[in-house]
Amino acid sequence: MVMHKTQSHRRDPASSRFVRALGTKRAMEKIVNDFVVNVATANGTGSQSSNLIILHSMFEMGVPVSGKNLFPSNISGLPTWFIIRASDRGYQAPGDGTNIQILMNKDTWIKDLEGLEPGTIVVYNEDVKMPVERDDCVLLGMPMTKMARKINPKLGRLIANMYYVGAVAHLLGIEEYAIEKAVKAQFKGKEKAVELNIQAISEGREYANENWDFDCQFSVESREKDPDTFLIEGNEAIALGSIYGGISMLSWYPITPSSSLAESVINWLPELRSDGDGGSTCAVIQAEDELAAAGMVLGAGWAGGRGMTCTSGPGISLMSEFIGLFYFSEVPGVIWDVNRVGPSTGLPTRTQQGDLSMLYEASHGDTQHIVLIPGTVDECFEFGWRVFDYAERFQTMVFGFNDLDLGMNRWKTSGFTYPDSPMDRGKVVRSQEEMDSMPEYGRYRDVDGDGIAYRTLPGSGLDPILYRGTGHDEDGVYSEDPQVYHDTMARLKRKIDGAREQLPAPLIREEEKKDLGIIFYGSMENTIVEIDDMLEESGLSVSTCRVRALPLHSGVEDFVRRHDRTIVLEINRDGQLFGIIRKEFPAELIPKIHSVSYSDGMPPRARVYSDMILEVLEGL
Amino acid sequence: MLKLNVLELEKSEYTGGKSSLCPGCGHDQISNNIIQAAWENGIQPEKIAKMSGIGCSSKTPAYFLGKSHGFNTVHGRMPSVTTGANLVNKGLSFLAVSGDGDTASIGIGQFVHAIRRNLDMVYIVENNGVYGLTKGQYSATVEKGSKKKKGVANQQAPIDLCAMAINLGCSFVARSFSGSKKQLTALIRAAMSHRGMAFIDVISPCVTFANNDESYKSYNYVKANDEVLHILDYIPHFSPIEEVEVPEGEYQEVSLFDGSTLRLETLAADHDYTDAVSALSAIHQSEKAERHVTGLLYYDDNVPTATDTLGLSETPLVDLTEDLLRPNPDSLEKVNSGFRS
Repeated sequence: MVMHKTQSHRRDPASSRFVRALGTKRAMEKIVNDFVVNVATANGTGSQSSNLIILHSMFEMGVPVSGKNLFPSNISGLPTWFIIRASDRGYQAPGDGTNIQILMNKDTWIKDLEGLEPGTIVVYNEDVKMPVERDDCVLLGMPMTKMARKINPKLGRLIANMYYVGAVAHLLGIEEYAIEKAVKAQFKGKEKAVELNIQAISEGREYANENWDFDCQFSVESREKDPDTFLIEGNEAIALGSIYGGISMLSWYPITPSSSLAESVINWLPELRSDGDGGSTCAVIQAEDELAAAGMVLGAGWAGGRGMTCTSGPGISLMSEFIGLFYFSEVPGVIWDVNRVGPSTGLPTRTQQGDLSMLYEASHGDTQHIVLIPGTVDECFEFGWRVFDYAERFQTMVFGFNDLDLGMNRWKTSGFTYPDSPMDRGKVVRSQEEMDSMPEYGRYRDVDGDGIAYRTLPGSGLDPILYRGTGHDEDGVYSEDPQVYHDTMARLKRKIDGAREQLPAPLIREEEKKDLGIIFYGSMENTIVEIDDMLEESGLSVSTCRVRALPLHSGVEDFVRRHDRTIVLEINRDGQLFGIIRKEFPAELIPKIHSVSYSDGMPPRARVYSDMILEVLEGL
Repeated sequence: MLKLNVLELEKSEYTGGKSSLCPGCGHDQISNNIIQAAWENGIQPEKIAKMSGIGCSSKTPAYFLGKSHGFNTVHGRMPSVTTGANLVNKGLSFLAVSGDGDTASIGIGQFVHAIRRNLDMVYIVENNGVYGLTKGQYSATVEKGSKKKKGVANQQAPIDLCAMAINLGCSFVARSFSGSKKQLTALIRAAMSHRGMAFIDVISPCVTFANNDESYKSYNYVKANDEVLHILDYIPHFSPIEEVEVPEGEYQEVSLFDGSTLRLETLAADHDYTDAVSALSAIHQSEKAERHVTGLLYYDDNVPTATDTLGLSETPLVDLTEDLLRPNPDSLEKVNSGFRS
């Protein structure tokens, strides 16, 4: 039986020898900056602060680290896990297994314990009083709640979480200055909280040091930290991007996982968007539902403003009628979809790329929408401002596609880059002189041949029309004429097709040997390097192509042409991008394009996808 | 010589396209009253935004104010589109037309929330108790016992939009009848002078599907059962002395936001338009008597509008230049360094 050197077992010489032996043996082959820590807690116990302190302290030391919060749809009590991965190779996926497991939650205790690989280091809160029956693991207990109650009886339950921070810091060798900085950042300005939590972490560290005779084989080692880097959630990056994109109206209805996007806009507006006299240059309104939120964006765009809303899949379903009206009446607007797991209410707090095909053709009748798909927090910021330019240039509703993983987890950036071009307000006739210079103005007359007509704004008095979702001719007048309808729909198709080469081009990383090409998008960016490495271990030469917008850029088709075989890799069940490609690409290319698609709500694990890719290739 | 308004514009500057509604439709009379009211009030046509949803009534913005921009949106969702436009351009005067299907059924949520926010708009419901465009199904405002031309009498309780609006704190609530030209024009003019949500429920008979005498919203029925609260005179701020004769009996004056006045020559002495309970009582009494109470039911000039509460820039947001819409590069450096420290 593997023993941990605490309390009842402390005097067992056999067990402590065994632990020492196990530890010493592993210590000989120290594994630096390459491990996974999994923290199991209950929602609402303040564990998020503890987890972020571990994450940020390692980041502070320059350790390449990523964190995934797996939380329930619940305010308090249900289980939650936080996965921290350190990887000198820069891998950011959750990894295949757990090296250090923290057990705090009695509800998941048994199952969490059962699922561990032999040899896993288990740090557990003794005060939970649950059995720890895994002879093949390293078991390290600590009376976390009791110790926490000693320093503050009232806040004991919350502070107990800081003791596992101390334990992890001890095991991995996280330096004190880094912990201190992370705690200070976490409890900004709250001196008492900083002091209390640092005390708890130190006590945890000391306890581990004094009571655990175990030399952990995993450790962190400082790397030179780029002083420009910091961690940020994708949703906040989009929020900042939209503020620098000149957003003038945000309407929103709360829904996980998009609410933090709207709330970030609200938080940043006072500092960044005051007019000098204390007035805000952006209106924010919490709508009564998603239908109204979309309607408000439509109204703002029609009136000449830069309107935006953010939601998740269920919201898009509700907004679909308005989305058709945007498309057909040609009004600019922005809708961000932070994907969660569908269908229906699905798994509201888990991640998926499940809305892509819905966004591309949302609403009844023939429609087609521009979709921007960031894969990094830098792109979240960049597409956050660019999306308004596309919406106004093409006079249509443009989607931003994000997911819970990229939106609500923290990712690294070296800082955001200021917009490199002035705002593109599109074709708007703003004066009588401009109007007079147009030979035959009509709201929907394609004078430039790009499918984009000129519009006028309410209040201008310039050639007013009654906008409508009914059939209309080039002057905007109601029409059921077959030719007029047909021509309008053909022009709309031409207009959106014309966007292909103007949208963000795919990012391609190509091998000389054009053996296998992988097409992917969005948050899969954070796992692709690891998948690529796994595949290359089996002798494959792998090129990758990250799609960043719909409709697809010609570069994607060229990528397929250049490669013997292509895989379209996605986090959903049906291969939604594969479906779009199969529909739009020339028939002769289709036989060499294959779908690998998998979704279980978890952030993508590299091994799952690389195995599936190998399986598909074997079957060819 | 043609008559001109205070802006020296002819009435033809306020007209629209040819109506495609059934001949004799109450909605066309309301359109005429809208044209008359906007012209008499001397509103610049280009500063008006015409808004509507879907249905017979929602088609009418094509038939009035041809010099104004407008949006014929989707069924029941006009209020949200108006909200978005209002937030970015509070300089526009929003004039919205909806129907009883559009507002009391599919759009009741958006109606409720537009009132809650006191959206600065004129909201006219052209209320005939039936869905016209889909050929005469009952709507949610039809009275219990009322019977349309075909089918059986309605057995469900009606939704009274005025009572609902008052309960929600709407700042201007009135009911009128498409056949009462003087009353309706005065109410629309007053609504245009109000700042905030001005709601007018206008009973407007459907000549095709529900103009039989058993229908409580038919011409004959309303004519015979109109419970008029007061005789209305609108006195515009730009010519306070002309047009109106001082009545002999008792009267009250309502001061409106733009300086105009609505004079109420009292008929029902016990009605107090500043008291929600009095207004609700008038509605319920007339409902019980199977009659329609018309006039200014409720008024409150002390409710902040949707844009008042948001702390927005004085300049309408659509008129802001790029230097105000996009923060400068230094600010982004500050944001970045804030995250780094």
